[in-house]
Amino acid sequence: MKFWSNLLKKREVVVLLLLVLMIIGISLINPDFGKIDNLHGIIANALILILLSLGESFVIITKGIDVSVGAAMGFAAVCLGLSANSGASVPLASFVAISAGIFSGVLNGVGVAVFNVPPIIMTLGSMGVLRGLMPVLTGGSWVDSVPQSVKNIANVKILSIDAIIWATLIIVLLTFIILKMSKKARYVYPVGDNEEGAFLLGLPIKRTKFLAYVVSGCFAGLAAILFVSQLSFIPMQAGSGQEMRAIAASVLGGVSLAGGVGSPFGPLVGGLFLTSIDSMLIFLKIPAFWNDAVAGMILLVVVLFDFTIRKMVEKENKKQRMLGKSTSYHGSTPQTRKVMEEL
Amino acid sequence: MSLDLGKQTNTKGQLASLFSIWKFFGGIPVLKGVDIDIVAGEVHALLGGNGSGKSTLMKILSGAYQKDSGNIIVNGQSVNFPDPQTAHSYGIYLVPQEPKIFPNMTVFDNIICGMKVKESAFSERVEAYARDLGFEGSIMDNAYSLSIANQQLLEIIRGLVRDVRILILDEPTSTLAFKEVSALFERIKILTKRGIGVFFISHRINEIFEISDRISVLRDGNIVFTKDTRNCTAQEAIKAMLPALDDDESTEISSAKLEAKAKVTADKSEAILRIEHLSGYGFSDVSFSVYEGEVLGLAGVVGAGRTELAHAVIGLDPFSRGKVVFKGVELKNRSPLKCLEVGLGYVPEDRYLHGIFLDLPNKYTITAAVLSQISKPLISKKKEENLAREFIKNLNIKANSADQISRTLSGGNQQKVVLAKILSANPSLVILDEPTRGVDAKARLDIYKLIRELQKKGTSIILISSDLQEIIQESSRILVMHAGRIAAEFKSSNFDLEKITSAAFGLGVSI
Repeated sequence: MKFWSNLLKKREVVVLLLLVLMIIGISLINPDFGKIDNLHGIIANALILILLSLGESFVIITKGIDVSVGAAMGFAAVCLGLSANSGASVPLASFVAISAGIFSGVLNGVGVAVFNVPPIIMTLGSMGVLRGLMPVLTGGSWVDSVPQSVKNIANVKILSIDAIIWATLIIVLLTFIILKMSKKARYVYPVGDNEEGAFLLGLPIKRTKFLAYVVSGCFAGLAAILFVSQLSFIPMQAGSGQEMRAIAASVLGGVSLAGGVGSPFGPLVGGLFLTSIDSMLIFLKIPAFWNDAVAGMILLVVVLFDFTIRKMVEKENKKQRMLGKSTSYHGSTPQTRKVMEEL
Repeated sequence: MSLDLGKQTNTKGQLASLFSIWKFFGGIPVLKGVDIDIVAGEVHALLGGNGSGKSTLMKILSGAYQKDSGNIIVNGQSVNFPDPQTAHSYGIYLVPQEPKIFPNMTVFDNIICGMKVKESAFSERVEAYARDLGFEGSIMDNAYSLSIANQQLLEIIRGLVRDVRILILDEPTSTLAFKEVSALFERIKILTKRGIGVFFISHRINEIFEISDRISVLRDGNIVFTKDTRNCTAQEAIKAMLPALDDDESTEISSAKLEAKAKVTADKSEAILRIEHLSGYGFSDVSFSVYEGEVLGLAGVVGAGRTELAHAVIGLDPFSRGKVVFKGVELKNRSPLKCLEVGLGYVPEDRYLHGIFLDLPNKYTITAAVLSQISKPLISKKKEENLAREFIKNLNIKANSADQISRTLSGGNQQKVVLAKILSANPSLVILDEPTRGVDAKARLDIYKLIRELQKKGTSIILISSDLQEIIQESSRILVMHAGRIAAEFKSSNFDLEKITSAAFGLGVSI
């Protein structure tokens, strides 16, 4: 019983249940929506967002924010496309993409952890730099005619499900296991929850923050591989606006912007949720330009609900302290009281 | 429980000793060659006024700060603590005044976080400590719902699983309720029986005498007094905390003021402000009155509840019970602006956080409270400028013009700008919260002069200050707060630094 009530307290579980209910509801209205092909398509479309959001979550858990993930993905995609077009093998080109992502993560990490630049400013800056570097690398044009070998990544199927879906699932599971088992990875929680407390316990705050940004960049690189293989060309606006969706997916999945809370399943559920809304609106024959507004409204409702509950808990805590602080102590034993009187 | 404390235990059972520790903050010495030690199984209490260096000393011992010079000897070897973790590895753990917990992690994770151990091996030990020390609730629950007392216990267990030999408790009782304090003391006794040495910082002298085996007093960065508790009286300890001032000098100051003050207190007319049974966060059941033209000093140590009280009076913070009557009218639904409109002004303790617009011209701060008076309906540039100039001149603010950016002024002049903001509304009662903190000597004198001028004009003043000499010098009546309550009242005829200090540290005083 306690297990179930604890599970229901987790936001990703609530959002997942909501998602399932919505899928069932929409399928009743329009049976085409519930077809396996359509659901498979939604999941495949959600993968990029899930990966970006997964990396973003590491940063948000440390109480930071990374608005450069979209640009980092675009930058990594350009690097991948250019190296593939100049004859690099798929593994090598993927390696280049991940390296490019890690590079952007290192840039952010150094700024935030070493030079103490506020995260929003640092990552806004690197977002500009990375976006600016894209046309510099390509000479201003799009990267198209990516080799078939790269496109094939998106076409491999295992047990009639896309291999990239399996891969993403495995990555989420691995992240979960690493966050459970590795002490160093788990430091993101205390560092985001109470930085001063983390310092007093001697936790490596700078290193933890640095690594969170590197992980975020690394996931942007992974997302770039999916992006190029799915789209097969790279426009200059690749990944633009994705940073906001990544943050939204994380928050929707229960990663708290106040730091210290969140699990890798949050971005998974949040990413699926945001992507399915796009598809649902199509099946409900609502014009596509409603997508962002509806997604934003759902996010607001969830966050406001969350915020209200948090406020209530804080208020209760403060009340408790109010009772405690205003009582004074006059000696617990008769002897001390006697000593005090004599003084 | 701790036998033979004294010189002969120097080799036996000594856990750590610190020799001539020096520490500077921005070129100003905070610790001036402190020597102190701790023996196994003892509770060593540290007593001292605000800013005497107690916390700094303990932060150096626990690795949160680094000493500038001096020696720390642990287990016979000289050590250096570049960070808290190194201090932990030598068995030294500091429990901060406000427990630093991770609310979203389980109690167990909170405790073992940062340790290089296999968790599973530790759960039994943590469980055992929790049981021994009477921790309520499961260690697998999240920490956010813990009471302060249990958060503190969590901190202590954190120290224990790190094999602590020296536990430092920084004002552990300041946030606890009565029952929780006795429970904490029981726990401290369990720890000392196991041979752990405890440093106990507190502002409450009765607690120190109940729990400690040895008392050291810090004053201005020096240890001025160390004695076994059983051979020591509270008077001795209090005396050691007082500044080494010539007795003649202090009496001279107060006697010179006496006549002027006596006049004010004599013709006590109507009370301008009456506070009746006010309780809230940090203070409880406070009642007093302020009379026309008097300077009422509100003395006490940091954390006594004075600022919290002031905030509740002007409506910055909520309160749970009681009422505030100003000029015969009860003030309900108070807010700082509403209070100022009826003539009750508050000059906050932290001017940077609450008092001044640092990056704007002076005039913006000076006129902020009276914008409605200088607008018709848009703000009149000329009136604003004139008002600001008037106050810059009257308060002797060293500024080039009313347009100078406040950040570029000295601390003392910034404070005067904040004062001008409140005075521009022409209040009949001003609450000054630590008005001379971080202010140079010249500006300090200006502020004292201003207080007297206001008093002459008939303005009443509540002066909150931790500088007891300042309070004695400026007030016509003094209330002392201790642990959230009014502990004593002094009329100008019997101001006495020692008695006021005693009351501030919680010693009963008969008036």
